[in-house]
Amino acid sequence: MPSAIAASPRDRITKFTNCRLVKGDVLVEQDLWVSSATGRIVRSQELFYGAKAVPDETIDLGGRIISPGLIDVQMNGAFGFNFSQIPEDPLTYEKTLRQVNKSLVQTGVTSYLPTITSERREVYHYALPFLGPSKGSQVAEHGAESLGAHVEGPFLSPTKNGVHKVQNLITAHSFADLEDCYGASNLNPTPDPLTGIPRAPQIKMLTAAPELGSMTALIPDLTARGIVYSMGHTEASYEEASLAVSHGCTMITHLFNAMRPLHHRNPGVFGVLGRAESLPRPYFGIIADGIHLHPTSVKIAFNAHPDGFILVTDAMHLVGLPDGVYAWTNGEQIVKRGAKLVLQGAEDTIAGSSITLVECVNNFLCWSGASIPQALRAVTATPAAMLGLQGVKGSLESDADADLCVFSEEVGEAGGTRLVVDQVWKFGTKVFDRLE
Amino acid sequence: MRLIIREDPDAASAYIAKYIIDRIKAFAPTPEHPFVLGLPTGSSPVKIYKILVEKYKAGEISFENVVTFNMDEYIGIPREHPESYHTFMYKHFFSHVNVHPRNIHILNGNAPDLEAECVAYEASIKAHGGIDLFLGGIGPDGHIAFNEPGSSLASRTRVKTLAYDTILANSRFFGNDLEKVPKMALTVGVQTVLEAREVVIIITGAHKALALQRCIEGGVNHMWTLSSLQLHPHPMIVVDEDATLELQVKTVKYFKSIEKVASSQGFEQILPSTVRTGPRKEPVEPVPEAKEEPSILSPQPVTSTLLAAPATEYPVRSHTPELVPDRMGSRITAY
Repeated sequence: MPSAIAASPRDRITKFTNCRLVKGDVLVEQDLWVSSATGRIVRSQELFYGAKAVPDETIDLGGRIISPGLIDVQMNGAFGFNFSQIPEDPLTYEKTLRQVNKSLVQTGVTSYLPTITSERREVYHYALPFLGPSKGSQVAEHGAESLGAHVEGPFLSPTKNGVHKVQNLITAHSFADLEDCYGASNLNPTPDPLTGIPRAPQIKMLTAAPELGSMTALIPDLTARGIVYSMGHTEASYEEASLAVSHGCTMITHLFNAMRPLHHRNPGVFGVLGRAESLPRPYFGIIADGIHLHPTSVKIAFNAHPDGFILVTDAMHLVGLPDGVYAWTNGEQIVKRGAKLVLQGAEDTIAGSSITLVECVNNFLCWSGASIPQALRAVTATPAAMLGLQGVKGSLESDADADLCVFSEEVGEAGGTRLVVDQVWKFGTKVFDRLE
Repeated sequence: MRLIIREDPDAASAYIAKYIIDRIKAFAPTPEHPFVLGLPTGSSPVKIYKILVEKYKAGEISFENVVTFNMDEYIGIPREHPESYHTFMYKHFFSHVNVHPRNIHILNGNAPDLEAECVAYEASIKAHGGIDLFLGGIGPDGHIAFNEPGSSLASRTRVKTLAYDTILANSRFFGNDLEKVPKMALTVGVQTVLEAREVVIIITGAHKALALQRCIEGGVNHMWTLSSLQLHPHPMIVVDEDATLELQVKTVKYFKSIEKVASSQGFEQILPSTVRTGPRKEPVEPVPEAKEEPSILSPQPVTSTLLAAPATEYPVRSHTPELVPDRMGSRITAY
């Protein structure tokens, strides 16, 4: 059986030199060693003195920037594939998903949370088993890697539904309601069939309105399972939002959008970014596509809590497709006009974006005057920390996964700096090169 | 003694870097016949390493066939500790150039048997045919490597307790906590340095001016261990103007004139031509001579060995004999 002969993993050590590494808020001129065998960043000094090893290949990057691979924690689909839509032939779902992962990695996104919007329970039961974390199988050729699914709904406020279909929105009163909706096996850690070691649930992040039903009281049940609770699509007042935070809410889904605006007598969800309470401040997602938010709002949010600032795309499956009318779930239609997506018949309702994550970074760079490492942190180290993956993802420190982006800088139209993805590396292996 | 005086630390470092590169190139090292380079740590050599790295990256020099021996390492801190000399060398030099890790020798401060580690280090230097060029710096008290004031000028690689001054000075690297500063180190001895075919020392800054004065104008003195360099047949000290502040004008003028005259006459102040160009002969395995351990009854003057430098062989470091108490009565002649 030819399949039994496993191709020996190339233990290849690559050294990047003449490069600037994104570390914290600064760019550090330092070499970086990665191993394709372990898929990690190498403790180079230890290997050098201990194993007396030298790199198999040295790559001179000519002063370019190395960043950890980008992480998108809210992405509804891409390249014509919608994670929330079960194809007519359900068997093609997994196959198409693989294709999407391979294409997605070329945009610099090396790991992400595939996001399902508010759907009927059958959709969750069908799709979530495919969208769970990749469980340690480190195959660079698979492309972008899921860190677990993000379920945005259906426990959302019917008055802040955005493009989510109101008929699908429900209210949870107990954890059993959540299990019924998503499927118990997708919410709970399951033992590995081979080793018996519990594996993380398929769901990594859950967006819900905290004021509905018993949702706030259910937050500790979710966090105990390693699931991040994020508030969004909510009518929560400042007090309700603070209560959610005190129960373990650590994230806000697309801040400003689908929630009450900041009012000076009730600051709403935005208020929890203030420093007044003795509560930890949550992380928050920001869609920097130039449509969802005014640039100044983005800047205010960043300055309110830079350490919690996460850029997300909220991208739809229409990324990269031409303008026109496309099918949306539940038989509705969506209109794409440039990067703008609106619901047909309700054209003042934004229906997600069609922007890539690196474009969000470039927008943010252009609007805010933030430094390049600050902007990249919002799509690397900060989302990794939000997901509890600090030091594994979104990091260039030794032993972190060797998911890398090589950026060159260009002068943008407005005169500011634009980053261009030159190379993408996944688990220590090059998976994309713009110049090849 | 060659004393090269340059305007500032940058120029002094550049001089040494160029000198080392020229020496390696003239040597034309091969895998069978590598150039053996002794290396220091500390603040003064950082610039030299920087220039060497630049020259390597510019393709002007290769370290492929260079074997290195480092001067010293702390005892009891992990190899990857940010202040270890392993880390220093990796950060400033080894990670940027093509010295193969196989060719790198740094004392292991975590060896199970530190005495054996020192003996093996000396043996390893000998097995590589001795050190061709030992680069060094000094402390403000004139110490070379960790040979603190009062160290034997005949010392070899050994365990050394650090002087209180050094511990105080080093505490800035360890969060100003004296408790965290290593109290001991492994270091090559003064004699190990003097045995190199060539010794090049960098001294910069006004704070080292007194040390330079003592080492050049003073006599050989174990309180200023670098002064032992006066006994070496081919030492070179490269300094900046600030470091000459304590020297006599006459001394400075003399050494400046030597350099000037030499270059005007068309020969540089480098090694004698035989050493410079001649391919090194096969290193002769020194025949260990049965030497009597110096004892209280037959003391052996250290200077006799020193003056014969470069000596080719020395007894392996003698261990302090075990204290065996005897009866006082046995020392009294019985009547």
